Amino acid sequence: MTLRGLGFDPLRPLGALLFLGLWQAASASMAPIMLPSPWSVVKRASADFWSAPSLAYYGVEDPSLFGNLVYTSENVAIAVLVGASLGALVGLAASRVWLVRALVNPIMLTAGTAPIIIAAPFLLIWFGVGRASAVSLVAFYVATILYLFAERAARNLDPIYEHSALTLGAGPRRLIRDILIPATVPELLGGFRIALAGAWGLEAVSELLGAQSGIGKVLEVLAGATDAQGILASLILLGVVALAADACAAALIARFAAWSAAGAQRL
Amino acid sequence: MTSQRMIEFVHVRREYRRADGAHVTAVDDVSLIVPEGEFVCLIGPSGCGKSTLLQLLAGLDAPTSGSIVLKAKEIEGPGPERGMVFQRDSVFPWMRVIDNVEYGLKCRGVRAPERRRIARDYLARVGLTHVEGAWPRELSGGMLKRVAIAAVFANGGEVLLLDEPFGALDYVTRRQLHDVLLALWDTPGATRRTVLFVTHDVDEALTLADRIVVMHSGRIADDIPIAAMRPRNDDTLATPEIIAIKHKLLAHLGLQTKGAHA
Ligand SMILES: Nc1ncnc2c1ncn2[C@@H]1O[C@H](COP(=O)(O)OP(=O)(O)O)[C@@H](O)[C@H]1O
Ligand SMILES: [Mg+2]
Repeated sequence: MTLRGLGFDPLRPLGALLFLGLWQAASASMAPIMLPSPWSVVKRASADFWSAPSLAYYGVEDPSLFGNLVYTSENVAIAVLVGASLGALVGLAASRVWLVRALVNPIMLTAGTAPIIIAAPFLLIWFGVGRASAVSLVAFYVATILYLFAERAARNLDPIYEHSALTLGAGPRRLIRDILIPATVPELLGGFRIALAGAWGLEAVSELLGAQSGIGKVLEVLAGATDAQGILASLILLGVVALAADACAAALIARFAAWSAAGAQRL
Repeated sequence: MTSQRMIEFVHVRREYRRADGAHVTAVDDVSLIVPEGEFVCLIGPSGCGKSTLLQLLAGLDAPTSGSIVLKAKEIEGPGPERGMVFQRDSVFPWMRVIDNVEYGLKCRGVRAPERRRIARDYLARVGLTHVEGAWPRELSGGMLKRVAIAAVFANGGEVLLLDEPFGALDYVTRRQLHDVLLALWDTPGATRRTVLFVTHDVDEALTLADRIVVMHSGRIADDIPIAAMRPRNDDTLATPEIIAIKHKLLAHLGLQTKGAHA
């Protein structure tokens, strides 16, 4: 198995190097307060990783980048797991049960087109500034995407598989467990990956709107202090975590969608 | 041979309402008795109701009126005693080949070692032992049909329904699969399963069938026993009686044949 076969794309590090080079060049011609150099940002990220005095000064609950990354990651993990399972299950149900589709489809189709962030003020009013409002916002966003993917995948599934399973002796439970779910898994995981990528940004933005912890809160505080270096350090750490999560999602796809053409490309 | 009746269609009718509101009678007052162990080919022009008749027998669709009786019990839905091979590929792409062949047995609660043994046996009989761990997407069209056939035979149904199963295959593969199918059907020491095989290919019907039922516009237009010896080959199918039947079948399909005096 080659590196490329493992999903390693040599253009990726090349692109990253190019980006770093441009950043370095731009920072050389700008004041550090406007655009700090990549190296200074890396140093800042490692210095503030376990303990960040500036955050303590501005009254962030957990004065370390690590602690706030954990807070944000936990929220994203909970939201993605809850939202994805709910969205996928309701989507599959809607594809087969007329009543579910009639009830849920209008909501989901609207939610799929409107910018979800408009729900944030209401969630803040209902749930306050704690975890609950950020988590429910992200969970709702993830559920919407998974719902749309699941419903479409199940609706497009060739009925021949259900017919074949029925003539082989499958009952309704087996139809769901052995046909409907595995048949739609590649598309569900594809939707999951897209939702996961979007979840990080949405979580950070919802923390910006009012939270006591999280990378979003850190960004809010540092923006108030016009600390470009600290902002970039936080964003880069968040980016690294998001990339790692995406790699896990890709590995999941390779493992559980090996039978389909989409999964085969990653093997 | 004691010929107990296996399948009985009693004045079966199936009407569809098209989107434009018009009524289409896909199956129109069909009555037919098929004895146990008989290999029946259903032949007829496209749109004459062959697939509909098979779907009704499979229990995937219900008649508008009339009834279908299997061993003195009226059919009410699909069941594993009636296996079906579809024209399009129906092998589950998300299960490995061996798991596909085992699936029916699994649904019926057969234990893992036992069902693996049965599945391996049938995979060997269709010549696919070497791909038992492969994904279906790695197989050719002909191999997928072998998997589908192994799956329904392994499941042990007494009735097998095949809807133009080899229609999309090339000539050579089709002839190989005729041999595979007949070998499974006519296994020494085992009771023959009752087969309804839909085709639009006259030669295929003559090679396979004990009896050819011709359909036209939803009705049974003819019902012809084929007495030729088995195993059949191009020579045994070249007798004057068989050739006369062939001309008759071609005429039913709307093909005028030169030199036909049948
Ligand atoms: N689900 C359906 N809705 C409406 N018309 C149908 C449906 N299924 C079959 N028909 C019609 O019934 C007739 C018989 O179809 P079918 O049984 O598929 O024929 P065959 O298999 O002999 O080609 C055709 O005229 C077809 O258009
Ligand atoms: Mg047909």
